[in-house]
Amino acid sequence: MTALLELKNLKTYFKRKKIEIPAVDGVDLVINKGETVALVGESGSGKSITSLSIMRLIPSPPGRIVDGQINFNGQDLAKLTEDELCKIRGNDISMIFQEPMTSLNPVLTVGEQITEVLTYHQGMSKTMAKKKAIEMLELVGFSRAKEIVDDYPHRLSGGMRQRVMIAMAMSCNPKLLIADEPTTALDVTIQAQILDLMKDLSKKFETSILIITHDLGVVSEIADRVVVMYAGQVVEEALVEDLFENPLHPYTEGLMGSVPSIEEDLDRLKSIEGNVPAPENLPAGCRFAPRCPHKFDRCTAEMPQLLKINETRAARCFLYDSKEVPQ
Amino acid sequence: MITTNELEERNATVGHSDTLLELKDVKKHFPIKTGFLQKNVGQVKAVDGISFSIKKGETLGIVGESGCGKSTAGRTLIRLYEPTDGKIIFKGKDISHLSEAELRKDVRKDIQMIFQDPFASLNPRKTLRSIIREPLDTHNLYKGKERDEKVEELLEKVGLDASFINRYPHEFSGGQRQRIGIARALALHPEMIIADEAVSALDVSIQAQIINLMEDLQEEFGLTYMFISHDLSVVRHISDRVGVMYLGKMMELAAKKEIYSNPLHPYTQALLSAVPVPRKKGVAKRERIILKGELPSPANPPAGCVFHTRCPAAFDLCRQVVPDFQEVKDNHFVACHLYK
Repeated sequence: MTALLELKNLKTYFKRKKIEIPAVDGVDLVINKGETVALVGESGSGKSITSLSIMRLIPSPPGRIVDGQINFNGQDLAKLTEDELCKIRGNDISMIFQEPMTSLNPVLTVGEQITEVLTYHQGMSKTMAKKKAIEMLELVGFSRAKEIVDDYPHRLSGGMRQRVMIAMAMSCNPKLLIADEPTTALDVTIQAQILDLMKDLSKKFETSILIITHDLGVVSEIADRVVVMYAGQVVEEALVEDLFENPLHPYTEGLMGSVPSIEEDLDRLKSIEGNVPAPENLPAGCRFAPRCPHKFDRCTAEMPQLLKINETRAARCFLYDSKEVPQ
Repeated sequence: MITTNELEERNATVGHSDTLLELKDVKKHFPIKTGFLQKNVGQVKAVDGISFSIKKGETLGIVGESGCGKSTAGRTLIRLYEPTDGKIIFKGKDISHLSEAELRKDVRKDIQMIFQDPFASLNPRKTLRSIIREPLDTHNLYKGKERDEKVEELLEKVGLDASFINRYPHEFSGGQRQRIGIARALALHPEMIIADEAVSALDVSIQAQIINLMEDLQEEFGLTYMFISHDLSVVRHISDRVGVMYLGKMMELAAKKEIYSNPLHPYTQALLSAVPVPRKKGVAKRERIILKGELPSPANPPAGCVFHTRCPAAFDLCRQVVPDFQEVKDNHFVACHLYK
């Protein structure tokens, strides 16, 4: 497989009260052509900042990409000018967000918003673009596409708005779709519709998807590969089946134990003790060590590297370091 | 005076001696007002005739999608909203028409509430001491220094350090704030706690901590919970019985095991099948029922069964007649024409 996007040692820092806060701290990530990768983590893990960094949408100041490469299709996005980026955003890479209402313009009709992308990137005429917009709306499952195209966003429900966002994001046939918690604000029955739609579209157009979510159920529904983040770092990487079969990193294990199952009764949830460390006050050594049930001396003294376990798996944990004597 | 015998007899006729709270055909309609004169042009039937009971010491889970009326039901049953119709019976007493003063004296103390957003429900300008003391002050429980000691004790009960007593809510994380909300709810030794999406805003690892805490407290104090949530997995974990709401109506109500393994109502079936589940290798995917269309507006609900517009099993009768909410199996209630 060929890599479509490759992040190398990406570091995005924010400046607050003269301290540099490492929101994303050395992330390596590969997305292959046609692949769906899920970026999983809790609030503050840096998953959204990673995705915004790829799009170069980090508000600056206070944010700044300090180091690293964002290789997309042979270009390093980290080095592009704003003009060059505009040609890529919405065209080669597009993005959908959690709250579709805040990302749709309330004073423009649905059609005007979709055609804007098409006339700007593809140089279509207005009538052509409108035709294409209706086509896209039909594609995302609107039966009354011809009427919806002249409707304003407030007339649509949450699920319909998210479908409009997807129609807009897919209209230029992007190579990569970044979806930041696309179904978190939706009800489960609507979430099921949207996930199905995203799966269909990515297959049809061979679009790669980077989906950011905290919901492990959504991950298993849609992703091929999973990258787990904690406190700004990647802590585990695996194929979806492997991750659910056998989580390696104690954080991943804890995360899975925390989620109640809809299929079986558990006596008690295995919660993870304590809280996510504040990014301005990260512990020395492994960042998960203060909450880790398996920690030993080395964990608090030294930062573990992301260790490659096999071709598809990696974990940032000394438990998998061959130098470590098994306990 | 009622003798024990009479009391037993009365309970026997009611059928549930251990029923703590009972709702009988409770309705809550909100008027839709418009124009300068605020003319009444219709009503939103947020809760439209629901009946169920909660036993002492049990956890009743209420699930449903946004707009189904689950939160309104919770708020109406403690009279934060005035019920439009129906009866709310708490400990054998009809509380649906009590005055504010009577409510405060008899009911408010016994039923407490925890909310979804722990930041919005804590006053940012008050310290933990005054936040948790407030119910004690209002109800005049304990005296002087004893009140502060009580606050410290409550903080420790919910897993917070007693030394936090002089801090403000903004100094705490989401999970800690939810603990503060729970401490405040516990201050008056309530019999029942209504948790309205109490863990929905929390990260999963923190969510598990709070769920475990709520279970521990239930055991320690013999609490009764009404747990309102959209998260079907969480509800399964914490509840003894589960009720499913749709568009202001209760569609199905049964013991947890029964409803999750043998859902009868087509809506419950679709809802359960829509929840994405982490899959292990080799385990077959479940059959998904994808519901067509959108939720109708509660201001203008469909005639007949409210679910018929999206129901894969709907037939003529469903479009005309509202199905009764009836017991079709032992303690398994469902409102659907498929089961007669």
